[in-house]
Amino acid sequence: MKKLLFIYLALGLSVAVSQNKQLLYNWEVTPQTLMLNPGALVTNQFHAGIPLASQFHINVGSSGVSVFDVFADDGVEINTKISNTISKLSSRDFFTVNQQLDVLNFGWLSKGLEPMYFSGGMYQELDAIAYFPKDIAILALEGNREYIGKAYDFNDISARADLLTVYHFGVNKQVSKKLTAGVRLKLYSSLISVSSTRNKGAFKTTVREGSANIYEHTVTDLDVEVKTSGFISLDGLEPSQVRKKLLGRALLGGNLGIGIDAGITYQFDNELSLTASVLDLGAIFHTKDTELYKAKGDYTLNGIELIFPELENGEPTIPYYDNLEDDITREIPVDTLNTGYTQLRPTKINAALHYDFGRFVGDNGGCNCKNNGTKQKRVSQAGVQYYSIFRPRGLQMAGTLYYTRRFGNTLSIKTTYTLDSYSAKNIGAGMFLNIAGVNLFLAADNLLQMSNLAKANSVSLQVGLNYILH
Amino acid sequence: MDVKITKLFFLLTSMLLFVSCFDGTDFDQANDVVVTPEIELDLIYFNLDASSFYNNATNTEVLVVEDTTDLDFLGGSDINDILKGADFFFKFTNSISRGFNVSFDFLSQDNVSRYLMQTNVAPGSENTPVVSYFVQSLDELQIKELTKAKKVLVTVTIPSSSQDLTGVLNLQSKTTYYLQIEQ
Repeated sequence: MKKLLFIYLALGLSVAVSQNKQLLYNWEVTPQTLMLNPGALVTNQFHAGIPLASQFHINVGSSGVSVFDVFADDGVEINTKISNTISKLSSRDFFTVNQQLDVLNFGWLSKGLEPMYFSGGMYQELDAIAYFPKDIAILALEGNREYIGKAYDFNDISARADLLTVYHFGVNKQVSKKLTAGVRLKLYSSLISVSSTRNKGAFKTTVREGSANIYEHTVTDLDVEVKTSGFISLDGLEPSQVRKKLLGRALLGGNLGIGIDAGITYQFDNELSLTASVLDLGAIFHTKDTELYKAKGDYTLNGIELIFPELENGEPTIPYYDNLEDDITREIPVDTLNTGYTQLRPTKINAALHYDFGRFVGDNGGCNCKNNGTKQKRVSQAGVQYYSIFRPRGLQMAGTLYYTRRFGNTLSIKTTYTLDSYSAKNIGAGMFLNIAGVNLFLAADNLLQMSNLAKANSVSLQVGLNYILH
Repeated sequence: MDVKITKLFFLLTSMLLFVSCFDGTDFDQANDVVVTPEIELDLIYFNLDASSFYNNATNTEVLVVEDTTDLDFLGGSDINDILKGADFFFKFTNSISRGFNVSFDFLSQDNVSRYLMQTNVAPGSENTPVVSYFVQSLDELQIKELTKAKKVLVTVTIPSSSQDLTGVLNLQSKTTYYLQIEQ
């Protein structure tokens, strides 16, 4: 059995698969339910995630293109497929990778006059998003020849990547018979961060009556910036030294930040409840090991004007080319700065309505009195969930309809239908297995595409192993 | 019951993990990816007044005027590797009543000629300037030679001149660069 579990985890970890964890939200999986809503209902007395295996989550997604679009073995020339794909994509399309690994996760019920459930731990997260820089991609791939008069917008460049560890501690309390609330404080330690999200300006090649040369190449109102943190000190280091440095940063040695999660559960009656949470409301303060590159200005290039000066013997010619380079550098200076900057975390919002129905799980009446009078679980739950995340170009949203079916206290299955930026036919399923307190869960979405991941716009997988004491 | 459920769990999750695959795809196609941008870029321009062809101080004709500029971007090995061809386009607008011979000699750093282009410009008049075009297309071999150059020497030759010669010889030019980037 242990071997089987190990193989499962290893396989799960190797399968690349959404920041939106619609399957885990308000499900049986205690540590992760609390991570998604600190105000979730907790019915257990203690939990401990198996170190490094409590939860692994990965999501790879792209809103407008699938692997199949480009690599289909269909006899069409790949360069044609790339060209077709680019014309199909817009600068609002994006690629994302989000991965989380729970290193530690634990929690316990503190009994007493005011019972509270405390939970804490540490996880590592990699989060990256890159919008498709359509204009710049066209310029790089096709050049400007067929696009005379077109403005290539630098605003199209928007990308961000963060590697960080998060230390957290939360408290969950049943405030009244109907309301449970919770908060979680987070301390972020950034290992590496790079972002370029507020760019503007345009490059254009135009034909203008009366211009000095055939074309005018203009860069207008350029203002681009790339911010990095944690990179420069790694430059030139051996891989082993890089690992050592990153490990130090993972252990609170990086650029630090703080954040908060908060959430509630409100039970209208035995059947209907509402949950809501806000996650990662916070910021990281990049104060050390930062390097920022800024380019700003306007410039019009007409080529090089020769003036045929009368030169005496041996007199050097005019350094036109050097002058041109100096002009460009003067008009569009590129500055390298080492100033600090603050970066907001991508805040997420969850909200859901849940409806319980069917007979009760087990058969000991309608009240589970040991758990402070909270309602006993029924075999079926259905509901609607809302999820959104603040991204550089605004909110990304998803809506989910779900159904959860419990088979005794051993097995729980949740199925979801999600409508999001990636797809309108995302069906997911998760299974939660409880054997003598040892909990194993596995959840994946986009099952319709699971038989051929190549056609999927996004795939997400969560797997985890925890010990829960009821 | 529990044993059955456990088996069911592993059966279903196995299906999930093992059934998933990348079907009908051929990732070897990545080797065939070729990017072929075509870039239009202004080259040089000038306005040569007719007076440039006569030295009033010495009362002598100036039959040849020349100027040189570095074109540093041509000489880089990066561009050399991916440049597969180029079209040089020159547009002369002549309001001087003389024809011209204009040459563009692409020289290495030590002034060795790598590629020479030459053309004749038709005479015009101040009232009716004459436009002449000259296009030189270079294939991969020729462009490889040209990219060994670091500068261009522009020479404008007039067959004869006089003090009362009027008008302007205007040049506008651009190049289309054909790049090919592959793995």
